Amino acid sequence: MSAAAAFHRSLGKRLVDAGLSLWFVAALVFLYAPIFAAIVYAFNLGVVNKQTAVITGWTLQWFPAAWNDLSLRRAVQASLVVSFWSALISVAIGSALGYAMVRHPQRAVRRFLSALTYTLLIVPETVIGVSLLMTYAVSGVPLGMASLIAGITPMAIAVVALIVRARVLTLDRRIEEAAADLGSTRLKTIRFIILPQILPAVMAGAVMAYTFSFDNLVVSAFLTTPQVNTLPVFLYGSLQYGPSPAVYAAAATVFLFTLLMLALAAQIHRWARRSTLPRSDEPQR
Amino acid sequence: MSDRLQDLTSTNTASGDNLSAGGRVPSIVTHRLTDHVLAAVPTIWLALFFLAPLGVTVAFSFGRSTFGGVVFDLTLDNYRNALSGFYGATFVRTLLFAASASALCIAVAYPVAYFLARRTRRRRGLAAGLILVPYFSSFLIRVMALHMLLSRDGLVEHVLNTLWLHSGPLDILDSQTAVFIGIVYAYLPITIVPLYVVLDRIPQPLLEASRDLGASRFKTFVFVTLPLSRPGIATSVLLTAVPMLGEMVIPRLLGGSKGVLLGQVLSAQYLQSQNYPLGSAMAVLILITIALIVTALARVTKGFSEVGP
Repeated sequence: MSAAAAFHRSLGKRLVDAGLSLWFVAALVFLYAPIFAAIVYAFNLGVVNKQTAVITGWTLQWFPAAWNDLSLRRAVQASLVVSFWSALISVAIGSALGYAMVRHPQRAVRRFLSALTYTLLIVPETVIGVSLLMTYAVSGVPLGMASLIAGITPMAIAVVALIVRARVLTLDRRIEEAAADLGSTRLKTIRFIILPQILPAVMAGAVMAYTFSFDNLVVSAFLTTPQVNTLPVFLYGSLQYGPSPAVYAAAATVFLFTLLMLALAAQIHRWARRSTLPRSDEPQR
Repeated sequence: MSDRLQDLTSTNTASGDNLSAGGRVPSIVTHRLTDHVLAAVPTIWLALFFLAPLGVTVAFSFGRSTFGGVVFDLTLDNYRNALSGFYGATFVRTLLFAASASALCIAVAYPVAYFLARRTRRRRGLAAGLILVPYFSSFLIRVMALHMLLSRDGLVEHVLNTLWLHSGPLDILDSQTAVFIGIVYAYLPITIVPLYVVLDRIPQPLLEASRDLGASRFKTFVFVTLPLSRPGIATSVLLTAVPMLGEMVIPRLLGGSKGVLLGQVLSAQYLQSQNYPLGSAMAVLILITIALIVTALARVTKGFSEVGP
């Protein structure tokens, strides 16, 4: 009887496990199907310069078409410039924020900075976008490259800050105290003790900030002008007239680029983990 | 309190010897200065490009719209306007939409997170990575491709027809269903992560104890696992319901003109009708709703230590 019950139980367990595995696979298919579709459609012939849901034939013509599309190219260029500067600013400010969130001597300040960072993450982008638009209008700042870059930094800063914060939390405080005891100033301690230790997190944060900025659509949609138009905003706009087939070629290229950036970030992260092993035991191998 | 105490002691001893007060000892002035600069720079930057703009929106929401401009005032007309008629209905519809879409996301994500949490450590990393990669690839491109897949004569239609689950052309685009599919698609990865983190931390002995005391697997799940995963569920709600309140891209691309949501109406106030005070009032209403959600979630997870990312 108990054997039968055990059998029953293990059968139930197996059924549940099989169901969970199936669900997981279904989720993966769901998540990846559109990505593969975007890549496949980059090679689809379409019908008379219009992309179609049916595969009508294979072609490579959309890649040169995308390259020769002047407005598309200008959008990519603008995106590259915007995300470069945004990543640079966000890394500098986000790292300082991530560090101060953990190590600022006053608890009230630490709390305030944490609250600020989490607020950044939960205010919808639409609200941030319209608020910035109004602020620029009120203060007479013309919309352009600089105002766009400044506008998309807050969210990238929050991302960098959280990555750096996670790293600072793992640092051994005693090393900093030892440095201080030996007469190092705070600035020197940061430069020579902390920065080398958090550098991998800073770099991973840089890649993330770059990807986020490159991809930003909602805030950018409010802050771009016909002169300064980033790729996501351009694509979003072009959807209203039915996307040009070249759009998918550009999209596929961008996707591969993003994937490369992510692989880079993962590699940096792995390298970081290796370099955090205690140096002193190295010779003992 | 204890921090401040330590501050006081270190300030007092610093003038004399450098050896006594354990931690931050030498040259208190520069040390303080560095720390303050590191905290001040981000604060100033974010005050300029985040807090001040939100302040402008709050100020505008009490203003009066003139021809293409705003006159400052202290009127509640914009709120009245935003909460009545078509806009009020949109607000309510958006709230309902955010609640149901968030619940749907969690229902889809929970089994995936549960599956991930029960893998061995090595395979788990790989599986979690697989789930996260789509989240970091371009959001717009993914939604565009989803549009292609769901369109008439698209892949989904063919697959469903082959599987005999559907016959004839598929008219799913430009409907609330398509918006739900798109929302779940876009938010699934970030819904899974907090659930996974919290499920991963539930101590195994607790589940074994429940089984030893005679609870079935189902009962163990309902009375032990589910309540313990509350903080993860709360974080997932926060990460999905909150951005959905301002969502404007997915409804527009997949939902067409039907079932317009607050995000679209809000952005239209700025980009089309230029009624900035009304748009600002809507934005403030979104912020108030978020504050209420955060308060409610904090209450639900009271007693749990912080489960952060």
